[in-house]
Amino acid sequence: MRIIILAMLCIWVSPWTAHAAVTGEIVGQGGQRFPIAVSPLKNLGANSGDSARLSTGIADAMVHDLELSGWFRVLDRSAYLENAQSGITLGTFDFKDWATIGAEGLVKGGFSVQGDEITVELRLFDVYQNKERIGKRYTGRVRDFRRIAHKFVDEVINQFTGIPGVFNTRIAYVSNSGGRFKEIYVSHLDGSEKFQVTDNHTINLSPAWSPDGRSVLYSSFKERNQTLFLFELFSGKEIKFMPRGGGRYLGGKFSPDGQSIVATLESGGNTNLYLLDRSGNVVRRLTQDPGIEVSPAWSPDGKQVVYVSDRSGSPQVYILDVASGKSRRLTYSGSYNTSPDWSPRGDRIVYTGRVGSRFAIFTISADGGEPRKLTAESSDSEDPAWSPDGRFIAFSSNRAGKYHLYVMQMSGDNQRRLTGSGGDDTKPHWSPRLD
Amino acid sequence: MQFLYRISCYFALSLLLAACAPSATQKPDSKAGAGAGSAQAPGADGRAGEGSRGGAKESNTGASSLKGLQEGKPPITPASSPLKDVFFDYDRYDLSADARTVLRANADWLKSNPNARVEIEGHCDDRGTNEYNLALGAKRAQSAREYLATLGVAPARLSTISYGEEIPVCKEEGEGCWKQNRRARFVLLQDRPTS
Repeated sequence: MRIIILAMLCIWVSPWTAHAAVTGEIVGQGGQRFPIAVSPLKNLGANSGDSARLSTGIADAMVHDLELSGWFRVLDRSAYLENAQSGITLGTFDFKDWATIGAEGLVKGGFSVQGDEITVELRLFDVYQNKERIGKRYTGRVRDFRRIAHKFVDEVINQFTGIPGVFNTRIAYVSNSGGRFKEIYVSHLDGSEKFQVTDNHTINLSPAWSPDGRSVLYSSFKERNQTLFLFELFSGKEIKFMPRGGGRYLGGKFSPDGQSIVATLESGGNTNLYLLDRSGNVVRRLTQDPGIEVSPAWSPDGKQVVYVSDRSGSPQVYILDVASGKSRRLTYSGSYNTSPDWSPRGDRIVYTGRVGSRFAIFTISADGGEPRKLTAESSDSEDPAWSPDGRFIAFSSNRAGKYHLYVMQMSGDNQRRLTGSGGDDTKPHWSPRLD
Repeated sequence: MQFLYRISCYFALSLLLAACAPSATQKPDSKAGAGAGSAQAPGADGRAGEGSRGGAKESNTGASSLKGLQEGKPPITPASSPLKDVFFDYDRYDLSADARTVLRANADWLKSNPNARVEIEGHCDDRGTNEYNLALGAKRAQSAREYLATLGVAPARLSTISYGEEIPVCKEEGEGCWKQNRRARFVLLQDRPTS
């Protein structure tokens, strides 16, 4: 682990001077936060109707993402010294105004609105070297202005870490915020553009994205017997997966290439994993055990599936080689280990394990070894899901009373709450990067 | 119209069942042993005695838990139900001695009421993950179904469904509530009334 952290740090500081690395604020074990300022945007157009909302709204969305990443300390806007006449391009403002307050990075930008279209210009400056590092122009619908902010932060993170960020993504999850029913929702990480996928007043569970980010697979009791449905977000079309010869689908996950689905099928009290094509036809049965086999997730190369089986007498995490059908046990410590997800980087598997009477999130090497506990057992944390870059984990926790969604770094650092719907928000699944 | 039809058929069926099998319905209650007693305690909802007001309610097992959820009713088996819940240990689906006692009484009633068809619901407490609990609930329902079958109830009369941890009787944290949720529930199916 130490090696991984060091490697991340080296990549992280490389675009900047060694000086910046030295002055970075040390947080937690081996982490650093880079002091950055995000200036409210300037209105560059004639239309001033929505000016204040957009000016701070775009900046606020960027601040949210930068703080959620854990790699930045965003300087408080009330401390900014710059006067209103300063520009947003190199030579039209004074870097000293920003160096004085301790900023090493600076984001500036402007926007103009025409009808329902917005053009946003955003720049990242290196305050120490007095240089522009990124300059981008985006055009989109005014109501999607937050998405533009997310895209730019993904660029900023690319500049610092060599890998783009994951903020232009969405989370699918289950919530009972609308009452006693469990419905599927999708929203951006900051809670914006929340969309209710199901509204059938029953129980809907286990949402899973297709790898193109266009569809959500979920299981539902809406037709009484639980089965899988594939909902296409843009068209609203839906396909039902019905097991031939009876039984019920409890959940499923798309393979990384989007061509297959591994699904859990319960029949006669036994649950087993089945390989389906993307239309829901059974290709073949993957497990033959008389016990419980559930919660499958694919390896990033699509050759293996991590899942849960109780064949040892308690639920434990196993890895199945899809071609040979052979399984090996991965977890040995603890008597209740469930809901695994395989890092898109391939190296680690995250899962929920019971500690005493509580549940915590663990990661373990895909080759086995000692698991690492990431969350405290003073409350329950469950349902972990990797970000598409494998550097973050979304999960649900009842640490604030009801279950809410949280995000943390893969090290367990910087645990931050995403949702507060008033109900229980559970079962997050992170979309791929979106356009 | 269909709803009214179903209600009236159900009512007729209930009367029939009550008339046919008074001794069978008494059986679990008259056996005031440890098994029947402990089986009843968690499901008791303070509505005991409701059934004694009219024979028509003798076979009232309550609606399916999903239907109850939709109608805003708790998924509680009425005290008057001739088919009692059976309970399980944490993360287990094998049948305890108490559970077998209850199932024997349920089997007796089912054998005395050969037209009754039952859906066995498997439920879990809310600890652990949803999908695992759905599978565990299916195991619990299946355990109950298989035992009833060995006692001579035709398996074709018994269907199963698992609600996992999704439709709990109670939501408090602690064993007092959890144990009430680790159960198999028996709901009379009313879609094919016979007469």
